[in-house]
Amino acid sequence: MSSVPHDHAVPHDDHGYAHHPSGLMRWITTTNHKDIGTLYLWFSFTMFIVGGMMAMTIRAELFKPGLQIVHPEFFNSMTTLHGLIMVFGALMPGAVGFANWMIPLQIGAPDMAFARMNNWSFWLLPPAGFLLILSLFVPGGAAAAGWTLYPPLTVQAGMGMDLTIFAIHIMGASSIMGSINIITTILNLRAPGMTLMKMPLFCWAWLITAYLLIAVMPVLAGAVTMLLTDRHFGTSFFNAAGGGDPVLFQHVFWFFGHPEVYIIILPAFGIISEIIPTFSRKPLFGYASMVYALSAIAILSFIVWAHHMFTTGLPTAGILFYMYATMLIAVPTGVKVFNWLATMWKGSITLEAPMLFAIGFLFLFTLGGFTGLVCSIQPIDVQLQDSYYVVAHFHYVMVAGTLFAFFGGAYYWLPKWTGHMYDEKLAQIHFWISFVFFNITFFPMHFLGLAGMPRRVPDYAQQFADWNMVASIGAFGFGLSNFLFLYVVIKCIRGGPKAPAKPWEGGSTLEWTVPSPAPYHTFETPPVVR
Amino acid sequence: MTQTVPARRADEDARLRRANRRTAMILFSISLVFFAGIIASKFLGGTTAGITVVGCGILLYLVMAIGRNLRSGK
Repeated sequence: MSSVPHDHAVPHDDHGYAHHPSGLMRWITTTNHKDIGTLYLWFSFTMFIVGGMMAMTIRAELFKPGLQIVHPEFFNSMTTLHGLIMVFGALMPGAVGFANWMIPLQIGAPDMAFARMNNWSFWLLPPAGFLLILSLFVPGGAAAAGWTLYPPLTVQAGMGMDLTIFAIHIMGASSIMGSINIITTILNLRAPGMTLMKMPLFCWAWLITAYLLIAVMPVLAGAVTMLLTDRHFGTSFFNAAGGGDPVLFQHVFWFFGHPEVYIIILPAFGIISEIIPTFSRKPLFGYASMVYALSAIAILSFIVWAHHMFTTGLPTAGILFYMYATMLIAVPTGVKVFNWLATMWKGSITLEAPMLFAIGFLFLFTLGGFTGLVCSIQPIDVQLQDSYYVVAHFHYVMVAGTLFAFFGGAYYWLPKWTGHMYDEKLAQIHFWISFVFFNITFFPMHFLGLAGMPRRVPDYAQQFADWNMVASIGAFGFGLSNFLFLYVVIKCIRGGPKAPAKPWEGGSTLEWTVPSPAPYHTFETPPVVR
Repeated sequence: MTQTVPARRADEDARLRRANRRTAMILFSISLVFFAGIIASKFLGGTTAGITVVGCGILLYLVMAIGRNLRSGK
């Protein structure tokens, strides 16, 4: 892709900040996509640390058999809040942060389509996160039924559950507003000449993700609304005592929950699709097939939800349908992995930190995908359901998949965001520590699951002790490694070698045509893409 | 600030704002149909209500789309 030169190449002293409120008011009132992207990313990292503390509590309790640190009820609250905070507070806002920063820059738009709504979308999140944490301190404690919020436990739980439902409503509203903004921006504000099939893959990934969010977030909101009316207004949607059906909630939840997995992973696919061509110094292999694969994954994600419910007593025809439909997702996913590898094939590869994280992603996400395929086989899933094998599987997808892509994306675009090059050596050390400790944490969980250790238990049989201790040691190491990431980011913000407009030789998208750091206002005159 | 002056004409900006609002309203109404539809279908019971809600939603979009085309045809 090439664009005609425009005047962003002229350096500006003030970067346009002089005309805007400063200090706290700048961040509260900002309608600038870069500021809001920064807010999302910091919020995401903060919630990641909060959720990570909960994970550390879980792993400390599981360090050895027996109950030693927390009460079982609190342990259940920790697993529940860890899941909710990581999914809704860390991973999703993180992806939206990348979208806010990069989509307007990559499509040549001056800002998001609805700048004020963008501000509102973000500022709904901190109160929602606060409510989730606050639920720990109300009578009855926080929700403790797992992040899936299955009734009947959630119908019977205390006030913490109401706060959780309210938080989910708020975060859902924020996600829907964000999605509307992203779709409208991509469809209506692309630079002249930037056809849909010329868009960077990151924008494509987000366009499809936003459509998924529009379709499934209201379903989750509907489900928790029904849960709320069951709890307080005498309805019996899911309350068996009144003639309701708890399994119905599982259907509705997973109609949201499975696409949600792709909502989290598709933006990561987009980031990886930007990094690999840049550091391979080759165009992305099979661009069109990548777009079609993304679409196929999104469509298939709507028809596989009941594979999460193989043990609830589905009819045989249903089991077969959901099993084969789930296996089918491996085809477009395989296309993507093949294309990433083909992009690297015979490329002039250099292994800077973003590329290391991308290769780490490829290796570990593929492993997570394979274990997902194992779980899709119903006779095997009956054995593995609710075991640590499933915990290992989804952490390989969510952490080594999405989080590694986020780390890679952060290092990739930090020079554009801050105007400084990050400390490459420390970033590479961060990668290797993360890679090693991640595997020490989660690989043994496959063994634990296969040996029959159930998930969401604060105590376990002696036979599981060794691998649990290994996993806990790995978790502490992985947790600490994130402070190294924080240090590298802060060091980069505060100074370092000045970043040129295009710090990566292989960068070919529009964001590399503007100076580093990106001026406060960009593309007020749209570039023409040839 | 030494950025360039925006080149878009005012009417073009207004047209863009209208297009943005239209896109947003369509997307918002989709999410509203899903939200209300899932509750209505479960409240009324069975699949009939769900199919009715989705069907009405699709018909409404068709009516709106045809209406818009007819108006712009004039």
